[in-house]
Amino acid sequence: MTVTLASYLLVAAFLFCIGLYGALTKRNAVVVLLCIELMLNAVNLNLVAFSKYGPQPGIAGQVFSLFNITVAAAEAAVGVAILIALYRRRSTVNVDEMDTLKR
Amino acid sequence: MIEYINNYVLVSIFVLLGLLLPVAALTLGRFLRPHRPTPEKGKPYESGVEPTGSSWVRYNVRYYLFALLFVIFDVETVFLYPWAVAYNQLGLFALVEVLIFIALLLIGLVYAWKKKVLTWT
Amino acid sequence: MDEAVKNVLDWNWGAMAPELVILGAATLMTILDLLLPAGRDRRPLAWLGLAGILVAAFLVWRNVQAEPTHILYDMYRVDDFANAFKLVFLAGAAFALLLAVADVGPGGEASSGEKAIRDRGEYFYLLLTGLLGAMMLASAADLIVLFVGLEVLALSSYILVALRRQYLPAVEGAFKYVVNGGIASAITLYGMSFLYGLTGSTNLLAVGEGLRDAYVSGNAYLVYVAFFFLVVGVAFKIAAAPFHMWAPDVYQGAPTPVTAFLAVVSKAAGFALLLRLLLTAFLGLANPLDGSPLLFSELNVYVGAVAAASMIIGNTVALRQTNVKRMMAYSSIAHAGYLLVPFASLTTMVFSQMMFYLVAYLFMTMGAFAVIQLVARDRGSEDLRAFAGLFRRSPLLALAMTLFLLSLAGLPLTAGFIGKFYLFLSAVGREMYALAAIMVLTSVVSFVYYFAVIRQMFLRTGEEGDPGVRVPPTVGTVIALSAAATVLLGLLPDPALDLLAHTFNFSEMFLPLAE
Repeated sequence: MTVTLASYLLVAAFLFCIGLYGALTKRNAVVVLLCIELMLNAVNLNLVAFSKYGPQPGIAGQVFSLFNITVAAAEAAVGVAILIALYRRRSTVNVDEMDTLKR
Repeated sequence: MIEYINNYVLVSIFVLLGLLLPVAALTLGRFLRPHRPTPEKGKPYESGVEPTGSSWVRYNVRYYLFALLFVIFDVETVFLYPWAVAYNQLGLFALVEVLIFIALLLIGLVYAWKKKVLTWT
Repeated sequence: MDEAVKNVLDWNWGAMAPELVILGAATLMTILDLLLPAGRDRRPLAWLGLAGILVAAFLVWRNVQAEPTHILYDMYRVDDFANAFKLVFLAGAAFALLLAVADVGPGGEASSGEKAIRDRGEYFYLLLTGLLGAMMLASAADLIVLFVGLEVLALSSYILVALRRQYLPAVEGAFKYVVNGGIASAITLYGMSFLYGLTGSTNLLAVGEGLRDAYVSGNAYLVYVAFFFLVVGVAFKIAAAPFHMWAPDVYQGAPTPVTAFLAVVSKAAGFALLLRLLLTAFLGLANPLDGSPLLFSELNVYVGAVAAASMIIGNTVALRQTNVKRMMAYSSIAHAGYLLVPFASLTTMVFSQMMFYLVAYLFMTMGAFAVIQLVARDRGSEDLRAFAGLFRRSPLLALAMTLFLLSLAGLPLTAGFIGKFYLFLSAVGREMYALAAIMVLTSVVSFVYYFAVIRQMFLRTGEEGDPGVRVPPTVGTVIALSAAATVLLGLLPDPALDLLAHTFNFSEMFLPLAE
């Protein structure tokens, strides 16, 4: 029962699309950040699948995904920190209400 | 091709079994057990203490700060594992690199300390 | 063990010296910031940072015209392409640092009130870490380094935008920036993962070679997918339409020095990414039927479409803005469009054309933001009307602002005109008349909103008996240097063009390793 590269890529593509859809449509700011993580993890899945089953397998993809994981953590930390600062001022995590800059 | 389809037949049998078993167990249990509800039985279990207030309490914002700090330092160790595994092949140069890396992390820790993130109150 | 010690000492430290100096300066500033008592003036830290930038600039200049070198297992590349971009980044960061000093200084916008910045040490050293990210990006020879550099710059920028914690538009803008930036980097990464998958390598030169094989061996479809994802990600970074939505909010919410940093350094870094990644990876691709290079004949059409959209949207929406920083944001979106033109037409001059315009853009934008910062803190408002009667109050400041705006609009005798003229020629030379026409027409439209500011300064009278705007020496230096450079590059562009054509050997970028 072998799993082909295409299946991994398909799962990653689904994850990526769900993440992108969520990031663009969800109203809760925390969920938006979660959706971005989903997209980044889709990338990791892609990289690891390529590095194991790709046409030219190699270790570089796994190294790349390690860097992705750490950078994603840093980005999430900065995102949540800014969200806390915002929450202290506005008491809301609803993205629709972040509209002081619109005119 | 046949073998390929057979694989999916196996998977679908597993899925069906997986769905069927809990449903069967729950319905059987419903017929066998006695049914005498009292208000005490409907309460959430909190180690024998009377539950008070809503379960949607607000957490102190400091939990988030600790969580953020933990996530960063936790994830950064990911770089130390590959280095430790390949330590003998990498040699002195990688050691210097890792020492610089740890020094920068330490500055981060001192930063958090000085900004009073590590104290509660 | 002796062998190992020798290896460490033999390593080519000179190649990475500028980055190490910046990293050292930023680290030192962090430690000093933590050691200094709470109420102490943090401005000396900025001078330390400035000294670091000057030393790094000297070290970069020393690397110019040297043989291209690879270090760290070919992950990091020092060539003239990288050196030229690094000099632009260093100049931009130095100016931003000077503006930041005045911003927190006495009477500065960030010194008190709702817009106060309490974390002043961070204000200075995050500019340096952002600069470090940009420099890594310019020198990257590997997808991983490219990505890490991009993120170091992006994360520093997010925090810099959010520094005015008590000021709601700042925090809101910062959150929008994080979300948009996060989506953009995920999209870029998704594209990069296909580059890696098709070629089995993260080294850019190897990717370029591998992609050629992948394209002819039936994976052309995935090559296109990768290209589109990368272009979308880069377009977010340089704030090109239709991925520009974050820019106005972020530019308005951020402290003015940070806005200037984003408009110049972050955008220039985006263009470094564009050239480094897309040119090295996709230049070798050719149509198997007629052998025409893909990047010249097919893919550049899409880049041209993004450029046209940016010019049109940026210049028309800017007409409606009453907040000067918001107007400048749309103006910078339009400039992203102009700067994409040489990449769409892609002549052999692409580097010098883009670089000349980037340098001109650096000076005129920095100068304009410096004046905006002074006027905004003098009047306590970023509205267009804050400029009313500026010529009466501070004639020199008004004249300098006029010069920067004329240069941004691209009127003759300014640096902006020469730069735009070359971009225009490149489009005409490749017979992309539609793009050239859009460029000229939207430039004419842009006169309207630039002249709106000039009209306020000269024709409207402010309140009677107003004292002149106080100009701190740091901001004065930025304005004077920018004005001088804008005029010089406009009147005598030849020395600069010669420098770009002869001193910097940009095509080194494609040279493989000299083993």
